[in-house]
Amino acid sequence: MTELAINFPFALQGAPAPQVQGIDLSWYLALSAVLFTIGVVGVIIKRNVISMFMCIELMLNAVNLTFVAFASYFRDVTGQLFVFIVMTVAAAEAAVGLGIIIAIFRNRESLDVDDANILKL
Amino acid sequence: MQEFRLEAYLPILLMFIVALGFAAGNILLSQLVGQRKQTRTKLMPYECGKDPVGSARERFSVKFYLIAMIFILFDIEVIFLVPWAVVFKQLAAQGAMMRNLVYVEMMIFVALLLVGYIYVVKKGAFDWGERARREAEAEARALKDMQKGREPSTNARAA
Amino acid sequence: MNFFAVALQAGTSPDINFPLILPEMIVCGVAVLVMFLDAFMRRSQRWVTGGLSLLGLAAGAAATIWLWTRGAGSLGTFNGMIVLDEIRLSFTLVVIFVSALTVLLSVVWVEGEHLPAGEFHSLLLFATSGMMLMASGGDLVIIFLGLEILSIATYVMCGFRRTDLRSNESSLKYFILGSFSSAFLLYGIALVYGATATVRGSGVVAGTTNIAQIGERVMAGDIMYPALLFAGAAFMLVGFGFKIATAPFHVWTPDVYEGAPTPVTAFMAAGPKAAGFASFLRVFIFGFPFVGAVASASSATNVHDAWLHALAILAIITMSVGNVAAIVQNNVKRMLAYSSIAHAGYALVGFVAAGAATDATQRADALAAVAFYMLTYAVMNLGAFAVVTLIARQNDRRTEVEDYNGIGFRAPALSFTLSIFLLSLLGMPLTAGFIGKVAVFASALNVGSSAPAASSLYTILVVIGVLNTAISAYYYLRLIIVMFFRERTTEWAVPRIPASMALVLVITILGVFYLGLFPGRVLDAFKRKPASGAVTQIAR
Repeated sequence: MTELAINFPFALQGAPAPQVQGIDLSWYLALSAVLFTIGVVGVIIKRNVISMFMCIELMLNAVNLTFVAFASYFRDVTGQLFVFIVMTVAAAEAAVGLGIIIAIFRNRESLDVDDANILKL
Repeated sequence: MQEFRLEAYLPILLMFIVALGFAAGNILLSQLVGQRKQTRTKLMPYECGKDPVGSARERFSVKFYLIAMIFILFDIEVIFLVPWAVVFKQLAAQGAMMRNLVYVEMMIFVALLLVGYIYVVKKGAFDWGERARREAEAEARALKDMQKGREPSTNARAA
Repeated sequence: MNFFAVALQAGTSPDINFPLILPEMIVCGVAVLVMFLDAFMRRSQRWVTGGLSLLGLAAGAAATIWLWTRGAGSLGTFNGMIVLDEIRLSFTLVVIFVSALTVLLSVVWVEGEHLPAGEFHSLLLFATSGMMLMASGGDLVIIFLGLEILSIATYVMCGFRRTDLRSNESSLKYFILGSFSSAFLLYGIALVYGATATVRGSGVVAGTTNIAQIGERVMAGDIMYPALLFAGAAFMLVGFGFKIATAPFHVWTPDVYEGAPTPVTAFMAAGPKAAGFASFLRVFIFGFPFVGAVASASSATNVHDAWLHALAILAIITMSVGNVAAIVQNNVKRMLAYSSIAHAGYALVGFVAAGAATDATQRADALAAVAFYMLTYAVMNLGAFAVVTLIARQNDRRTEVEDYNGIGFRAPALSFTLSIFLLSLLGMPLTAGFIGKVAVFASALNVGSSAPAASSLYTILVVIGVLNTAISAYYYLRLIIVMFFRERTTEWAVPRIPASMALVLVITILGVFYLGLFPGRVLDAFKRKPASGAVTQIAR
């Protein structure tokens, strides 16, 4: 079982409180839920690949916010560790995604997903 | 709570001095040592290698994106180095074996990054290619023409 | 619980045990080596990188078997981040097998298409190491990391034929929908991490991402935010559902499978699906386990019931949608894509059985059945795609059903082997596909008979599975009929079978019959626990 008072420089010391730095945890969660939803809706309604990709990044960062809020509330590093990994993965995904997008653009001169219709849906 | 002691901030002051000195020193050094040749290209406003005049909707070379992408990939790895550096002392205090282990692990990580870097170089990601070289050569020729007092050949810029 | 957290508590040594991740380290190291060699070698050195990849995979398999027979002693498990149990080991072997066959399958293809072989092989090995991490992760961090290593490599492999629009499009669709689903999975993980916090005394104990700990807390009803737990489980279900292509989340599959280069499609249908099942099984069966009547008032039983019923419904939809949609396809790769969706549905039946099992032996049987099913599917699927690769020729030109008209007696070797694979996919007795289905359905019926209250659910699942098998006969047999009884009107030259391809076909044919005739040894092996009571977080 993880001990609460981990001697980690980023973790706050002291008794746990139901808040993260004076603001209710639920506000953080609500904000990240809203951001995540915006991302989901964006991916669904946007037609430009780059915009869709940005919306996916928004979703990932909404998740990061959730992790950080929980980690700060619990005074635990697991959530922060997760955020590091998510950031790295997001960077790798961005690189690969932009590569794919460039390959497509070279062959078709368009980034509209509605044009990507050789393979029928 | 420790009492406030100004000496504790000495390292930060030193850091500031070094940073300032580095910046100022470099500028001064290049002013003093560097050779100065006023060419048309050098007198143009600096725009990261792009032609500063013209439509802003112009297409950029894909090379810029490539460099940016590679930069992001290598840059993001720092987030693993920072926590490692923060906890290293505490871990090293647990004994020589622990210290070596933690050190070697990070060296492996850095070595893997280096392998990636070598791969990128070998694959020619930083090679700006025939066209870039031809453009540069054409511009050099145009400058030489100008210095001889002749009109620049018309196709030099377009090449 | 994580590395830093424990290591920083004074006096505790870190829980590090490198032999435990030896297979992963070998495959990953060889992948880096292949990448490095590729940078320094000229093109057309496919045999070097291909051979090296095969050697690496063989070494990884040997290390896996060594772990299985010798165990890892009583050393640590990276604080439960890595598990050593029969699920991990059996799925790891399946995944390595798939990758090795894919290397063989692609060696000639890469050359013919003038693609960089070294890059392909290193990507394949990276994907393999990701899949192995997915199978071995005991913590959601590791599972997520493995999933991403796998996905990012696979996105690139899909778009490997850079100048081909279909390949581009496949890659784009897979990338967008894959990262979309990863985000869902991740949000689920975040919510579960928050939900599993507990109150001890006056303090709050942090949430956990360790699957065994999540399981313990759920069983004890020791959960601070049950509602978040439900939401998290639902998001994770969606995320994993995307990855293994269950029915409402399957829309990417046909497009991606059709557009990707055929050897990559073969790999994707067999490998990542198996790895996805491995982590899906682990997270849900051990993270949200069956609780029984003990903690009646807790949320735990509810979450177990909820995901079990959701999965049962998903299994029904997946089987039906996959098979019905496959009937109307005119492209063979697309048809096989829908068939792979249907097969995921059959495997989900075993998953539901494993989830519902109340005693350990039944659960182990069901889990081994799912692993065995993924193995049989990998064998017949890779074989079928090997033939499709040969017939498709360069640029995947001939993948329509008409391209198979009347080739039966012109190229008997190819068409007979393809027929055997199709019959196995259909589930004919004496073939691997039959035994796989029997194992999965039997485990569901066993669980049903020991839980009379809900036995009708399992009977319905199995009945629908059998009905779907009957439906699937239509499209599998149609291809066989097309091959042997349709007139050929266009020119057609019999493709030459390269040696590596012949090896793939021989291995898969032997596999189909071996698993079909003597399944006992493999099934028993998949049930065997790692030796010497090696530390396993989960089997505690």
